[in-house]
Amino acid sequence: MPQFDITSFPSQIFWLVVVFAILYILMSKIALPKVGDVLERRHKTIEDNLGKARALKDETDAAIARYEAALAEARDAAHADIREASEKATAQQAAETEAMARKLSEKTSAAEKRIAQAKTTALSGVSEAAADIAREATAKLIGVKVQTKTAENAVAAVIGE
Amino acid sequence: MAGPLEQFEIKPLADLSVGGFDVSFTNSALWMVIAAVLVTGFMTMSMRRGALVPGRWQGAAEVMYEFVANMLKDNVGTAGRKYFPFVFTLFMFVLFGNLLGMIPHGFAFTSHIIVTFAMALVIFVGVTIIGFARHGTHYLRMFFPEGAPIATAIILIPIEIISYFSRPFSLAIRLFANMTVGHIMLKVIGGFVGLIGIFGVLPFAMLTGITVLEFGIAALQAYVYTILTCIYLHDAIHMH
Repeated sequence: MPQFDITSFPSQIFWLVVVFAILYILMSKIALPKVGDVLERRHKTIEDNLGKARALKDETDAAIARYEAALAEARDAAHADIREASEKATAQQAAETEAMARKLSEKTSAAEKRIAQAKTTALSGVSEAAADIAREATAKLIGVKVQTKTAENAVAAVIGE
Repeated sequence: MAGPLEQFEIKPLADLSVGGFDVSFTNSALWMVIAAVLVTGFMTMSMRRGALVPGRWQGAAEVMYEFVANMLKDNVGTAGRKYFPFVFTLFMFVLFGNLLGMIPHGFAFTSHIIVTFAMALVIFVGVTIIGFARHGTHYLRMFFPEGAPIATAIILIPIEIISYFSRPFSLAIRLFANMTVGHIMLKVIGGFVGLIGIFGVLPFAMLTGITVLEFGIAALQAYVYTILTCIYLHDAIHMH
């Protein structure tokens, strides 16, 4: 078996040591630091980006909270305004209704008074005219001049019946 | 027809001699160089842009890095950080060595016990030095765990010593045996394909399955070799 041929051992050991040592130096001084650097840099970049994303998210949350607060405040203010305006309108309406009612009742009572006056005037005019007619009629029919006073009394007596 | 063992032969490509030893540049050395070049090329070319969002090649290189880094972290903890370049080099060297052996006319230098044993010995000696450097003579407690009844010492200490010193052998033999047996099996079954005519489809189908299996073993044995190194490192740093 060639594996147990001792004469080849020095050569194999010699070249193993030489090649392995060179490979070790190449790996430890050139290849592995480079890989390590790249992995480190990637790790750092990912961490940085995650940190940035976290900061941005916090900022967004704060902005949303501010917006919500402003919105709630505006809503409350609007509600208050609406309530105030509606109360004012109701009060005004009530006052106007009352004023209008008073004015109407005043006008009604004035009109009633005028009507009553006109009625009395008209009625008194009627009895006077009736007395005159009665006097004239009496004079023409029977030639008796009746005293104004008497005619009036007679008319009053008839109307009064 | 070449025998099943011929594939393991070490053939010198360029003669070289240092201090009386024959250290010729051989096919084994050539494939070690190829493995080192491929590992270096893979780990540097794919990371050339160092993109934040990795492409396919960069992703593959990062997967290898993180695979070994996690293996080390899970088994040794943060104290193992400084041994990461060695463990990574070891894993990639063994993995590429095993996989290059799967190429036809390729050569698996990990199928030679002297190679796996030399690496295992470096790991064993290194781990022992780390153990004594960290714990001083207290590291000898490895051979007699705390809390064990004193009467068991006569049995326990020899067992622990044997198990400790058998580490480099089990590490070396496991990888060497797996690679050697796998390649012999491929060669023997491959020989049948041509020999028995039309019935050669049967060993051919088997060969196809075993080839897939061997790729799995190539990756798995590199993993086992590395994770055992991590476990020995853990023992040296944290004791039991």
